[in-house]
Amino acid sequence: MDESRKGPRSGSKSIGHVTIADRRQFLIGSAGLLGAAAFGAGTSLGIGRARAQSRAEISFASAAFFGKETFGDLIKAFNESQDRILVKNIELPPPSSSTEVYQGLVQQLARRTGTPDVFSQDVIWIAGFAAAGWALPLDEYFPADKRSAYFTGTLDACTYGGKLTALPWFMDSGMFYYRKDVLEKHGGKVPESWADMATIAAAAQKAGDIDYGYLWQGKQAEVLVCDAVEIITSNNGAILAPDGKSSLINQKGAVEAIQFLHDTLATNKISPKDVLSWDEEPSRQPFTSGKAMFMRNWSYVYPIAQDAKASQVVDKVGVAPLPSFPGGKSSACLGGYQLGVNANSKQREAAIELLTWLSSTEVQHRIALNFGLAPTRPALFQDAQIKKEQPFMASLEKVFTGATARPITPEYAKVTLALQSGISKALVSGNVQAEMDATAAQIDKIVG
Amino acid sequence: MSAAATIPSVGRPRRLGKALPGALWALLLLTPAFVSLASVSFYPIVNGLYLSLTNTSLITQEQDFTGFSNYVELWGDPQFWNAWWHTIWFTTASTVLETVIGLGMALILCEAFKGRGLVRAAMLVPWAMPTVVTSKMFGWLFDGQHGIINYLLLHAGLIDQNINWYGSTDTAMITIIIADVWKTTPFMALLLLTGLQTVPNSLIEAARMDGAKGWITFWYIRLPLLMPTLLIAGLFRALDAFRVFDLVYVLTGGGPADSTETLSTLSYKVLFSTLQFGYGSAVSTAMFVTEGVIALVFCLYLVRQIRRAQ
Repeated sequence: MDESRKGPRSGSKSIGHVTIADRRQFLIGSAGLLGAAAFGAGTSLGIGRARAQSRAEISFASAAFFGKETFGDLIKAFNESQDRILVKNIELPPPSSSTEVYQGLVQQLARRTGTPDVFSQDVIWIAGFAAAGWALPLDEYFPADKRSAYFTGTLDACTYGGKLTALPWFMDSGMFYYRKDVLEKHGGKVPESWADMATIAAAAQKAGDIDYGYLWQGKQAEVLVCDAVEIITSNNGAILAPDGKSSLINQKGAVEAIQFLHDTLATNKISPKDVLSWDEEPSRQPFTSGKAMFMRNWSYVYPIAQDAKASQVVDKVGVAPLPSFPGGKSSACLGGYQLGVNANSKQREAAIELLTWLSSTEVQHRIALNFGLAPTRPALFQDAQIKKEQPFMASLEKVFTGATARPITPEYAKVTLALQSGISKALVSGNVQAEMDATAAQIDKIVG
Repeated sequence: MSAAATIPSVGRPRRLGKALPGALWALLLLTPAFVSLASVSFYPIVNGLYLSLTNTSLITQEQDFTGFSNYVELWGDPQFWNAWWHTIWFTTASTVLETVIGLGMALILCEAFKGRGLVRAAMLVPWAMPTVVTSKMFGWLFDGQHGIINYLLLHAGLIDQNINWYGSTDTAMITIIIADVWKTTPFMALLLLTGLQTVPNSLIEAARMDGAKGWITFWYIRLPLLMPTLLIAGLFRALDAFRVFDLVYVLTGGGPADSTETLSTLSYKVLFSTLQFGYGSAVSTAMFVTEGVIALVFCLYLVRQIRRAQ
C-alpha cells in the first residue's frame, strides 16, 4: 500500500531476556549452552538489568514499519518506561507483504497459546479475528467516553458484532489529488461532485492542458475494492447490507457508481484504459510527471509529489476529499493498522496496559512524527509540532473524517476476491448490472 | 555422549548380523533415504489429498472430513474452469512456440561459425534471469503508455494507436505468453542442441553423398532421430509451463476480468489469501491430476516412437 515505507528489514530482532541465574551459570562455565547463552547474556545486559524476575512477560507482533525509528524502538521505550511489564517484540514482514503478515498472525493466533499477547492488524482482518474468537472484546476497558477521542470511521472498522475488538492505532485513506495550476484555468474550484469532476477533466483534456483527466486504480487487486467502496458509498450505496448477511452491490447506488467508473474509460474517456491494469504506483507516476489533472490515491503520494527529484509538479498539487454523487457524502476508504489483544493471553492486564500505551496521545504523536503515519485521534491534527513537521498530514483531518470501512465480515478474504473479479469484469465488458447481479449472487453465497 | 551409551554398542553389530538375513540389512540401510524422501515428497502429496477431502480452514477453524464435496463444488465452479482453460491455453501456446523457435535456434547453433561459443553463452541469459525480473521488464516493455513495443509498432505504422497490452482482456494473456517464450526458449534450444549433437555426422554425410539437400536431411534424418529428445524436452516444458505463477502474479494478478487467472494463481489465492486449506488443496489436486494426464499422453507417445524406431 505504501511505497515510501518499504525499507529494508531492520535488525530489530527481539532479544530473549536472560535471567540472572542464566548468567551466573555462564560465568561458572557450564559449557553445554555456551554459544547461545553467550549471545543471549551479552545482548540482554541492557534490558535485563531491571528486576527481570518480577516483570510480567508479554509479546507484541506487528508488521514492520520504518521511519526515523522502528516499532522495536517503541517497544524498547515502553520497557524502559516502567518496571512491571517486559515486552518481547515479534517482527512480522513489512506491510507491503500483507498476505504474509496475515498468514503469520493467523498461524500464531490459531494455536491459542496466548502468543502474541498484543498485535497490530490491517483493518480488513479485524472481523475475521473477532469471529474466530481470537480478539479480546475491549468494551469494558474502553467505555464510550474513551472512544470518543477517535475517528468514528475507524471505530466502526474496529467493531464487530456490536463489540469493540480492536483499538484504533494509525490510519490512511483514499484522497483526491488535483493539479492547482490546471484547475486554475478551468474554474479554479475543486469539484465536489463526480459529474463536475468529469466535466472539468474532459474540458481540460480537450483543451490540451493535460493528457489524462482522472487517474484511479482498476487492477484486479485489493485497491480496486478500495476505489469501489469509496465511489459506491458516495452514492449512498453499499457492498454489504448493514447486517452483513447479504450483498447490495447489484442495487441502484452501487451500479450507478461502477457505471461511472466504466464511463471514465468508455464514454467521457477522462481516464486511459490502462487504469484497468494499474494499481497505486503505475497511476501515481503519470500524475507526478505532470500528465494528469485529478487522481485518487493514498497519502504516500504527497511527499513524492513535493520531492523535486521525483516530481515535476512540486507545489502544484492540492489534496481534497473525494467527490460524491448528488445526495451522497464524500467517502474515503479506510486503511491502516489497528491494535488487538489476544483472547488467549495469559497476561491480560499487562496486555491492556501495553495496548493503552501504544494508542495513547503521546505515542500516536511520536508515531506521526517519526514514522509519518497519521494518528487516529482527531485532536492530534491540531497539534502544533505535527502541524510544523508534518504539515500535509495535519491538513488531512477533513479527508479522514469521511473514512469508510470496507465490508465488515469474517469472510472478507473471500468477499474481496469475488468483488475484484466481478468489478473488473464489469469495467471491461460494460455490462455493469449483469456482472453486479452475478457478483451479488456469489457474495450472498459466501456471507449468507 | 556418556560412557553408559557406548559400552553395549561394542558387541552389537556381530549379534545383529547373525540375527538379520542379508536382504533385511539392505532394507535397513535404505530406510534413512526412504524416510527422508517420504517425508519431503510422499507425505505432502498424501496430506494434500487428505486435506482436499476436508473442509479445513484456518479462519473458521473447521477440520471435518467431508468426502468429495470439495470436488463437487470444484466441478461447478466457473472460476476454476476459467483458470483451467487459461492454463491449458498458456501451456499449449508457450510449449509449441518455444519448441519451434528453440529448434530453429538449436539448428543454427549446431553449425560451426566464428564466435559460436559466445553466442551459445549469450543465448542463455534470458533463461538465467529471475522470472520476477523478467516480469518487471516486460511490464515496462509492454507498458500501454510508454512501452517501447507500442512506440516501435506505432512508428513502423503497424498500429494506429497504443495497444493496452496487459490492461485488455484480448491481449493480456498473449503478452504473458510472449514474455514466457522470450524467457524459456533458450532452455528448449539448449536441450534440443544436445539432442542434435547425438545425431551421427556420418548419417548426414551419407545423405549428402546421395544428393539430399538441407531440408530433406533435416526432415528425414535429423528430425526423426531428434524425436525422443523433442518429446522429453516438450514434456519438461509443458509440465513447467502448467504451473506458471510469477509472470501472472507480477504482471496482472489474474486480471483484467479474470482473463489471465491460472490454476497456480487461483490456488494461491484460495490457499493463502482466504486460508481455505481444504478447497485450495482440491484445486491443487486437480492441477496434479491434469499434469499427470499431460505427462501420460507425452509418455505414451514417446514409448510408441521408441518402439517404432526399433
